[in-house]
Amino acid sequence: MSKVDVLSQNCKGVDQCGICKYVCPKDLYRDSKEMNSAGYIPPEMTDEASCTACENCMIYCPDMAIVVHKDAQDGPPAGEGSDD
Amino acid sequence: MIKARTALAGTHFDMGNWACAEGAIAAGCNFVAGYPITPASEVANYMAKRLPQVGGIFLQTEDEIAAICSVIGASWAGCRALTVTSGPGISLMQENIGFAVSTETPIVIIDVQRLGPSTGVPSIGMAGDIVQVARGSHGDYQIIALCPESPQEMFDLTIRAFNIAETYRVPVFLMADGFIGHMREQIIIPPADQIDLVERRVPTVADPMKRQDFLDIGVAPMPVFGKGLQAHVTSSCHDEHGMRNLTEPAVMHRYVMNPIQKILTHRDQIVEVREDYVNADLVLVTYGTVSRSARAAARLARNQGLRVGTLRLITCWPFPEEAIRKAASRVNNLLVLENNSGQLYPYIRAEAAHASRVEFLGPQFLGQIHDPNAILEKVKEMLA
Amino acid sequence: MNATVHPLRKYARPHVTRTTTCPGCGNGIATQAILRAIEELDLRMDDFVFVSGIGCSAWIPSPFFAADTLHTTHGRPVAFATGVKLGLPEKHVMVVSGDGDLTAIGGNHLIHAARRNIGLTVVLMNNGIYGMTGGQTAPTTPRGISTVTSPYGSLEHSFDIAPMIVSAGAAYVARWTTHHPRQLTKAIKKGLTKKGFALIEVVTQCPVQFGRASKLGGAVEILKHFKSNSVRIEKARKMDPAELLGKIVVGEFVDIEKPELSSEWTRLIHSMREGRQ
Repeated sequence: MSKVDVLSQNCKGVDQCGICKYVCPKDLYRDSKEMNSAGYIPPEMTDEASCTACENCMIYCPDMAIVVHKDAQDGPPAGEGSDD
Repeated sequence: MIKARTALAGTHFDMGNWACAEGAIAAGCNFVAGYPITPASEVANYMAKRLPQVGGIFLQTEDEIAAICSVIGASWAGCRALTVTSGPGISLMQENIGFAVSTETPIVIIDVQRLGPSTGVPSIGMAGDIVQVARGSHGDYQIIALCPESPQEMFDLTIRAFNIAETYRVPVFLMADGFIGHMREQIIIPPADQIDLVERRVPTVADPMKRQDFLDIGVAPMPVFGKGLQAHVTSSCHDEHGMRNLTEPAVMHRYVMNPIQKILTHRDQIVEVREDYVNADLVLVTYGTVSRSARAAARLARNQGLRVGTLRLITCWPFPEEAIRKAASRVNNLLVLENNSGQLYPYIRAEAAHASRVEFLGPQFLGQIHDPNAILEKVKEMLA
Repeated sequence: MNATVHPLRKYARPHVTRTTTCPGCGNGIATQAILRAIEELDLRMDDFVFVSGIGCSAWIPSPFFAADTLHTTHGRPVAFATGVKLGLPEKHVMVVSGDGDLTAIGGNHLIHAARRNIGLTVVLMNNGIYGMTGGQTAPTTPRGISTVTSPYGSLEHSFDIAPMIVSAGAAYVARWTTHHPRQLTKAIKKGLTKKGFALIEVVTQCPVQFGRASKLGGAVEILKHFKSNSVRIEKARKMDPAELLGKIVVGEFVDIEKPELSSEWTRLIHSMREGRQ
């Protein structure tokens, strides 16, 4: 089962936004090859096995375009300490 | 069924502003916001004491803008809401009076008018706001305004203002002035069972996309907050569901025109005039406080054998054009009396001048009420 | 195959399928923080009335949130919300609007609502500029920055909003940036449970207008700026003013208990009713 779903139609583009790429602690996002219908290039996940389900990308995405499916065995969120 | 509250039924001798406040209480008003201003303050002062006794709230706001906004907010929260001020306050409220028009929000605005422009003379009455209440907010719209001539009418017409506001989902003005606001006269408050109140209609369908909440010329039920109706209220151009639409000209047209048509198609039910000019050669056309001088002048004239009648506009907006046309078709001379430099005069002339001679007379000095003898002199000059 | 639906989508009006914000705008981060706070508190949208003013951030609840929503005139949402709260004291009344709306044209209403301690939760999106109208100077624009209305650099000093609202009398004030969405959610939750006036200032990025004016760049660059310049209030209190120049002090500025206006009115009306009987 996939850990991360990119709702690519909601995305406003990694080139102009790109917050998902920035907040991923494992640097797992890259630009996808195809534009969505609004002309934006959404991100895609490169290595889902390495994803820790920290949810950073989901929580920071301004367009609610990423859903992280958290399993019980996933640890606590990794983004908690990003405040100083 | 909403019931009138009239703890103070009976005959009183008090100020117009007191009568207005008691009228609001009788009409079930349970939220008043206002900012102190002469000559309107007595309404707010009295409400601050009286409202909590009947389960209502009085909020003294930081300015008149906050007063009108909180009153609109309270109306959406289900309250029967009122604000009271004078001309300078109306000037500050204008933008959000347009908000009430656009969002079809029932509220009552008491304007105890004073002499202006600007700060002017706080304690002196003048009908200076008659056009600004109809045209003062930007954009295009219609307004409803009532003109009391006595403390008794400040009671009666405040109740009528609430009923009109709830019937048509509109802001309604009561255009009093410093003279009748501060005048003491007999006020008869009828028992509660003799006061009819209009209750607000609220929709029952839960989904706003399956309801018409706005732009119904026949008046849509109001999706008040707190009932799970997911109402979407915006003063931006919106469609029948209240959803913002800034792209479609057909929606823009309905957004402007339907609230206008809502008032104009009900003009006959809204407009109220007093006509007393059978067989007259001249009719004195008035509204508000100056109507008292007009009646006195007509009496003086008739005592001298002059056939002078009166036409009083109790509703000045929407403009009672039918009543003016009727008077002009039956009487050869119209003398318009206003406590200003002639604000309604051009509107009256536009309806009457093709059929009748129309002239204007202000008071000798603005700041005074018309002297009936001065009116009589002008009448004689016109009938000579 | 079922298409994935965002877990917070259940709080949105079904027919509103896209947001109107520019790419990388911080409004969406705050949108999620608000909705997540509501979810974590197990509140329903029917418990809320949302009130907003004019500006980009005023469109956060309107029309997206599936709740009673009042989208008002410029600067006035707090005044409208005051009437709503007094009419519906049992509801959560949340104001969402921007720094221009709430501290320039509407500044007077904001400080007076804090003084009254009326139970509103105000989420103030501070992007330091007028975004919707095309990048004009705001009361929050840092001194020296060139905008379309300060082409030679702004000569004016800017508001420090959170401490200003503490002085005005609010019961709860917090400030976080959009780099702190989890802390922001916690602060909104605290604001919603606080009996009294709560202000949550969200220092947020406008990549289009502020990014250009400040020469900071796009959304990611501004977020990095927030990260490297944020100082926790506990630490800031021990620092010299000179050291704090250009820093963003984040955290809880005040958290106190004091009588709240709408419940004081309920109490007064109740006591008068008792007195009459």
